[in-house]
Amino acid sequence: MITRGDVTRIGALALLLLPLPLLVTAGGGTYQLRIVSLFLVFATLTVALNVAFAHTDQLFLFLGALAGIGTYTTALIADAAGISAWATLPLGALAAGALGATVSYVAARRGMTVIVLAILTLSLQLAAVETFVGAREVTGGSTGFPFDGLSVAPLAAAVGIDERILFTYVLLGVLLTSLVGYAWLRNSRWGAAFDAVRQDPVAAEAAGIDVVRTKVFAGALAAGTVGVVGPLYAQAERYVLPSMFEFQAIDVLVLVMLVLGGSRTLLGPVVGAGAIVLLDEFLGEIGQWRTAALGVLLVVLFLYFRQGIVPKARALYDGYRSDGAASDVSPDG
Amino acid sequence: MALSTGIELAIDGLARGLSFALLGAAITLVFGLGNVLNLALGSFAVIAVVVAVTVGGAVGSVAVGAVAGLVVVAVLGLVVDRTLLSSVYRSEGEERIVLGIFVTLGLAIALDGIMFVYVPLTYSLAHGVPGVELAGIGIRGSTLLTFAVAIPVLVGLFGFLDRTQLGTATRTVVHDETGALLCGVNPRRIRTIIFVVSLVLAGIAGLLRAASSDVTVSAGFELTVFAIIVAIVGGVRDLRGTVLAGFGLGLVITAANFIVGAYLANVLLFAVAVAVLIARPEEIS
Repeated sequence: MITRGDVTRIGALALLLLPLPLLVTAGGGTYQLRIVSLFLVFATLTVALNVAFAHTDQLFLFLGALAGIGTYTTALIADAAGISAWATLPLGALAAGALGATVSYVAARRGMTVIVLAILTLSLQLAAVETFVGAREVTGGSTGFPFDGLSVAPLAAAVGIDERILFTYVLLGVLLTSLVGYAWLRNSRWGAAFDAVRQDPVAAEAAGIDVVRTKVFAGALAAGTVGVVGPLYAQAERYVLPSMFEFQAIDVLVLVMLVLGGSRTLLGPVVGAGAIVLLDEFLGEIGQWRTAALGVLLVVLFLYFRQGIVPKARALYDGYRSDGAASDVSPDG
Repeated sequence: MALSTGIELAIDGLARGLSFALLGAAITLVFGLGNVLNLALGSFAVIAVVVAVTVGGAVGSVAVGAVAGLVVVAVLGLVVDRTLLSSVYRSEGEERIVLGIFVTLGLAIALDGIMFVYVPLTYSLAHGVPGVELAGIGIRGSTLLTFAVAIPVLVGLFGFLDRTQLGTATRTVVHDETGALLCGVNPRRIRTIIFVVSLVLAGIAGLLRAASSDVTVSAGFELTVFAIIVAIVGGVRDLRGTVLAGFGLGLVITAANFIVGAYLANVLLFAVAVAVLIARPEEIS
């Protein structure tokens, strides 16, 4: 069951985002369309990290590796078997999801703390990119290969709209689907299990919650989502490059987006991703400072603004409505 | 493989191991004392290199440049400790560990970002130490320099910890912070000193690397990762274990580089880290 509040939130977001691809291309700007695509891709990745990190304390620092594994699995099997990448996309998701599940399982069984899992996944991330670059025969090395396997051109021709615009709607559909799934999840028994496991694993176990199963479920779901988004990202860029899946290119951004927007909220990941993508655009003129600005932002966020935009805005709104009196704990935004 | 090649590899591996030991020790000291895993370590190593090359070029002396690089890194370390790390130390337990990761990660990205703008070139130290050849075994000058610098530094580090009052106080804080406090040791002050020491160690490792190959800004994160892997394999609160792990990994990666190539050698290094984390996850907590 999804709460009525969440239905409203997702509906409002859909109404807000639906005209966006058409609006930005009204002047014929494919550049703006690429920004919208990036925003949708990263928003979905942030929804996934929200489930793994914010809800079950599993600090996955290998989103880039998962996206890469999803992408290479999808693209390379499609190429080798001579079939459509749409048919192999589930395999990519499966491969990434299986890795996420395995890591979550081992981490939970071995009682790894947040930091141990963080270093473990970071090691896997670096090893994965090293492998993507090194396996030159299949991945094309650091120069990569062009990718158009998830093209929606036939459908676009049939419907009569621009292919790139249609693909942006595919990305929007994936984001909205992930949000609907998340809204359902957090209001389900799983959501309750997530809370219990995060707050006190021992008590959760005593209350009859299977901690290992809960974490594996969250990890597999998050990793599988990333495994789907990776190939779609490659299609949006029309290229598969190892550097697309680097730690600094994916994980750092997604972490900043999650914390900025607000952990354990429905719309926080979308707000965070939107804010960072926009910030990136404004920094465009002084683009060389982009990396430095992200680093400073990461420090400032974690030291002074760990609450995030959405919870902060809700607190302000609640405070305004109840005129400073203690308000009821409202469901997450 | 000829015997002489094997010996040359072993000597190179030991030199690399000494650099690894310096880096690993820098991680272990700070994590053992204050539970902060310094993900910005490698960035400071690169700063030391850039300052050393710039100043060394300006005054015409590599040694003066190297000292200047280490001094700059020490001063920066003091500033970072008094500002960012003070905020991190205010939280406790796992919260502090997580905060430490993100703050130092952000710092690393910020420092690298700034350096990408101002110093985007490659940097190397023209140390001028000649290579030698003994009984058909060639040893490069940079390797000799590494032995000449890193061994005294490591011996000095252990001497400092074992024989000086400050060193004893440091070990006391690592073992029992409350007990140290009761004995009149100020843990915060010790952490400041050790953080600065750790950055100087990393700076030395960076300078030694610049003596044997080109260093770019992107080498910073790589050095950090090597340092963390060495510290993990050695036992992240165990300085002796870390130094030994540095030697072991230095030999292993040098041999692997020779046999299977650089990409697989690095993957092997990460695999070792993953295996150790799975085998002994309770070590870092």
